[in-house]
Amino acid sequence: MNWAQVWSLDNLRRLFVGELWDGQPGGLLLTVILGVLVIALSTPLGTAIGLLREHRLRLLRIPAAAYVHILRNIPTIVLVFWAYFAPPYLGFEVSRFTSVAIALTLGASAYIAENVRGGVRAVPRGHIEAARILGLSRWQILRLVILPQAFLTIVPALTGRYIVIFKNTSLAFLIGLTDLTEVGREINTRLLVAPLEVYLTLLVLYFALNRCVSTAMRKLEVPRNLNRFFFLPHRPA
Amino acid sequence: MYAADWSVLWSTQYGPLLLAGMLSTVKLTLLCLSFSAVIGLLVGLVRWDGGRRAKTVSSWYIEFARNTPPVVQILFWFFSASFLLPSWALNAAQDFGLSSAAVVIALSIYHGAFVAEVMRGSLSAIARGQLEAALTLGLGRAQAIRLILLPQALRLATPSLVNEAVSLAKNTSLAMAIGVAEVSYAAKYIDTYAFRGIEALAAATAFYLILCGALVGIGALVDHRLTRDEVRA
Repeated sequence: MNWAQVWSLDNLRRLFVGELWDGQPGGLLLTVILGVLVIALSTPLGTAIGLLREHRLRLLRIPAAAYVHILRNIPTIVLVFWAYFAPPYLGFEVSRFTSVAIALTLGASAYIAENVRGGVRAVPRGHIEAARILGLSRWQILRLVILPQAFLTIVPALTGRYIVIFKNTSLAFLIGLTDLTEVGREINTRLLVAPLEVYLTLLVLYFALNRCVSTAMRKLEVPRNLNRFFFLPHRPA
Repeated sequence: MYAADWSVLWSTQYGPLLLAGMLSTVKLTLLCLSFSAVIGLLVGLVRWDGGRRAKTVSSWYIEFARNTPPVVQILFWFFSASFLLPSWALNAAQDFGLSSAAVVIALSIYHGAFVAEVMRGSLSAIARGQLEAALTLGLGRAQAIRLILLPQALRLATPSLVNEAVSLAKNTSLAMAIGVAEVSYAAKYIDTYAFRGIEALAAATAFYLILCGALVGIGALVDHRLTRDEVRA
């Protein structure tokens, strides 16, 4: 076994932070940055699309449904290729990081839209009617009544989606971004004799990362913690 | 504005490549589908009603397989197969093509874990009394599972299994990471050598939409057949 070679100080630095000291974050750090960014972008986008799918205007409902059905049936790799290889044909360049972020955001938002839609449908009709009678505006009903309850029901489903996002960040290496997977590949190519050790290290790192995601998300299953995201009081008044 | 030239898709140089890529994607999908169904069924049964140690081991397998990226699992099997597989399996893998074999192994293990969870869920959803009644009527345990529980469980599991199949079909595109010439690889190749990336990507996208649509359609047919004589309360 060649664990010492694989876990040399230099390799560990590259695996965890990449060339951070030279201003180029890589490895696990880049994977985390990418994942968190995609989550932050795809959740609001997915929520908007999911709400449009429930809109009373057919003109808005149909495009939203098409968006979901098309994006859910295309592999993420193909989305990444669209985002990275297609723009130059149309005369502009998109950086590697931006294109991966766009592709993963589009792909994830379609799934999140379906989850949000399910959550919105699970909100009891009477709550919305009661809120309307109390004189809340449409926007207030959405923010104060519908979304907090909808998200509370879909936290477990969202955890699964977020784990998929972190797993999908590994596709970044296909267009040459030095994320965790790419660093592992480079270390493997340099050593040649220790593929088992290198890739086991990668698998364990991803496993630990996703375990952190599930643990963090479990905290949001408590309404008090989730409500902060909707600027609601921490305790019911 | 970009002037598209779709003829590249059926040119003698790139057309056969694209077609072979599509065939390869379908072949990988079907192979992984059957293997992951077998793995998922067995592990799901163990998770549902196995011994304590078997349950612990299978839950570790499921957790590890589901929480790591499939592409890293593919790379792992591709580079470590020669260290891990016994020689007869390695020979078989090399006859099949080591890279395709690595994809089949990795994706079957990855999706097998998801299928196992679906099967466990649907088996647990069936009332415990069903099994007890079957055993009381004199059926053996294996018979009771095969004749009474699995047909009901499959009925419940069909929608989730269809989602898994679609996700599996999409994940075969990861095979290009180790150079298997499936359809995304062909699209990338045409982009690199013919500078016709948009046309090639459009073809690949359309192909995946059709493939996944077909899987969903087959799933709907199966679902219809399984539930048509169901007694509705």
